[in-house]
Amino acid sequence: MQLPARLQQVRVARTAQKRRLICQAGGKVMLEVSDLQAKVADTDKAILKGVNLTICEGESHAIMGQNGSGKSTLSRVLVGDPQYEVTGGSARFQGQDLFDLEPEERARLGLFLSFQSPIAIPGVSNIDFLRLAYNSRQKALGKPEVEPLQFYGHVMPKLDTLHIDPSWLDRSVNEGFSGGERKRNEVLQLAVLEADLAILDEIDSGLDIDALRDVATAVNGLKRGNTATLMVTHYKRLLNYIHPTHVHVMRAGQIILSGGIEVADVLENEGYEGITNLLKKEPALQTT
Amino acid sequence: MSLACKAGCLHSKSPGSAQLPTRRSFFLAKGFRLKERAAPREARQTYLAAARRSSAHRTYCQSGGGTSVSAREQGVEQADAPPSESAAPPVLPQNGAVSAAVRDSWVGHLLDTWADINASPDTPELLQELHEECGAALQSARMPNTRVESFRFTDVSSIIKSQPQVPEAAEGAARGMLSSHMLREDHELRAVIVDGCLDQGLSNLSGLPDGVYIGSIRDAPEEVVAMRLGAQATTKGTPFTQVNGALAQDVVCIVLPPGAEVTQPLHLLHIASGREQSVSLNSPRLLIILGRDAHLQILEEFCPLDSNQRECYLTNATAEFELAEASSLQHGYVNLESIAAWHVKSTLVNQAARSHYALTEANLGGRISRHDVVISQMGPETETTMRNLQVCGERQVHDLHSSLRLDHPSGRAQQLHKCIVASSTGRGVFDGNVQVNQKAQQTDAAQLSRNLLLAAKGAVFARPNLQIIADDVSCTHGCTVSDLEEDQLFYFTTRGIGAEQARKILVYSFGKEITQGFRYPKLEARLEVAVNDLLSNAGAL
Ligand SMILES: Nc1ncnc2c1ncn2[C@@H]1O[C@H](COP(=O)(O)OP(=O)(O)OP(=O)(O)O)[C@@H](O)[C@H]1O
Ligand SMILES: [Mg+2]
Repeated sequence: MQLPARLQQVRVARTAQKRRLICQAGGKVMLEVSDLQAKVADTDKAILKGVNLTICEGESHAIMGQNGSGKSTLSRVLVGDPQYEVTGGSARFQGQDLFDLEPEERARLGLFLSFQSPIAIPGVSNIDFLRLAYNSRQKALGKPEVEPLQFYGHVMPKLDTLHIDPSWLDRSVNEGFSGGERKRNEVLQLAVLEADLAILDEIDSGLDIDALRDVATAVNGLKRGNTATLMVTHYKRLLNYIHPTHVHVMRAGQIILSGGIEVADVLENEGYEGITNLLKKEPALQTT
Repeated sequence: MSLACKAGCLHSKSPGSAQLPTRRSFFLAKGFRLKERAAPREARQTYLAAARRSSAHRTYCQSGGGTSVSAREQGVEQADAPPSESAAPPVLPQNGAVSAAVRDSWVGHLLDTWADINASPDTPELLQELHEECGAALQSARMPNTRVESFRFTDVSSIIKSQPQVPEAAEGAARGMLSSHMLREDHELRAVIVDGCLDQGLSNLSGLPDGVYIGSIRDAPEEVVAMRLGAQATTKGTPFTQVNGALAQDVVCIVLPPGAEVTQPLHLLHIASGREQSVSLNSPRLLIILGRDAHLQILEEFCPLDSNQRECYLTNATAEFELAEASSLQHGYVNLESIAAWHVKSTLVNQAARSHYALTEANLGGRISRHDVVISQMGPETETTMRNLQVCGERQVHDLHSSLRLDHPSGRAQQLHKCIVASSTGRGVFDGNVQVNQKAQQTDAAQLSRNLLLAAKGAVFARPNLQIIADDVSCTHGCTVSDLEEDQLFYFTTRGIGAEQARKILVYSFGKEITQGFRYPKLEARLEVAVNDLLSNAGAL
């Protein structure tokens, strides 16, 4: 255990986080969340209790945290899930106030969430769904919509990368898909839509070893200088494939610690107790 | 006396039709069904038997004697004394005389109005018999009102207050609409039925396998058709079924001999013409007789002659299907009537052992539509599938009453009913009865009704009901009423698809679970347009 060294790294990261404006590789700020608070809309159950998070172009962030700490809620609130109500704080994406936008407008602006448990849409085929979504974005970008045939040409290479059988295209969205297949289907959507900020909520859960590699390859392949990724995960395994520039720990609706990959190492070796101990020893590390 | 509908009640509940005499079972085993003769027809039976029926038929008729007949009905029957073979066809009493004896004034009006055309010497003999028989049954019938249980939620008084006239479509008027009413791109097997009469010129019925008959009753194999025409309608129909029988001007007859298979789907395109100042009434009639191990797919489509005109008309259709052992009928049925029309249909099915009847239907048209489906499984290992869709737009009522009776072991029954109510003035009604009787052990039955209520004040009355008397069965049923799934809508929007478009797609895909069963691309496209029109007119999007 070289805790002191790692601690050092954490400290560095923490300073960087505090200054906030310093983005890796000098990319400009893409998403800026400050003091975000949210509750379940039809009860008064508060879930997010002041989240701060800044993501710049070119970065890959990972959020880790125990079950029920609010990771999925944060993801869903960002894409506009009506079951949550924002009660405080702000979120800006690509220079716009996120909460002024409808979910579809956020998507057309380049925000994408791969759901932790994607739902099925019986009766709507994957190919139709993908083309509708793609054309909505095209329209928003002022580009021409594509015809079904032309669209096949766009989709086929993505299927190859993900090793997805083309017969999926004619099946209803996620209907009869296994858990892992649904996740791969989410990544297919991401690849087709080429979002700027991809939020991947536990994209690794339910994937077999080969599928995890395929998915990671696809996600890495989509990275460009002006895109960013926010991964929610429980295990370091995914981070070995998609290297994060930042790792955050969430607890009880707040990001309590931010750093680099070493945070994931602490978690891997010592679990959440390790984080607790760390913060006890170094209270200054606490981000909130 | 189950014939008469005295209180307007449906016959599906009459116990008389339950037990089959053994002699019948014998004919059943030969792949043929005999008429379920009700007592009032006894008089006519006897003369029919004597005059020209097959020995099989005669035997049955003799065995059926001895039941009491009400004086009035007998009187009517006797008024139409049996003609000799060569004599002129019997003529109904002329105007006035008919309605005087009739209990229901609407029926009286109809019988009067159709008296001349029914009396025409062109009317084939079999059709005359049907007219007489149903005319007689109607003497004492009452058209239903909302006090009648099976019409509690569907008020047909607007129909019964109308004064329908004989339709007068111009010759060949339907020609122009054929190309836009195909099932698929290529050539199709097609019967075009204009105002209830088969139009040979517009139909394409060539290239049928040996022994298969598809055509008008005028040239149909008399022996076979005579035994079955009206047989089920007598015991299973509603008063509207009798009205159909009294007014039908043609019967499309389809007869497949044992072992025959028509591989191409048969498109039965029913086209109704309206009249400018008045209501017209058309009475399409269909009879399908499948021999042992015969297989057929049909698609019945009902639409108006002029889709832009909002003329008012009533389509009152009846279909009788007889499925012999191990035969199969895939029955598609699409109601795309004018929004100003009324559409009433009875589908009556007898299924012998190991036969398979599969109904896929979509009801979109008409301000009132009512479909009565009555199916009897008459032997073991018989399979019945029903998939029904109703889409109720502004001021529209769609009513489906289905009744399936299982009396034999190892039967299978599957029903999926779906209803979309898109407007606060729309209403869906579903009464689906599946009766699994004592002898129907090892039955596998499932019935599900799913209803999508898009408008706050829209209404749906869904009553799937499974009555199980047998004990060794596997049966499930359920009913759900919901709006669109919020999380599905949200999923669309997170992919950049707007809420309105998402609703449209979700509503259509709700129905698509049924409509994709049609498997005809051009028809599916027509349905999609019709569904979208209904939804946008209803403001459901
Ligand atoms: N719609 C809701 N209604 C009630 N409680 C909710 C709702 N959504 C989230 N919660 C609660 O909020 C807390 C945070 O949930 P969330 O799904 O964000 O956790 P998570 O960090 O993603 O957990 P996991 O690692 O298990 O996925 C949990 O206690 C959860 O039960
Ligand atoms: Mg989660």
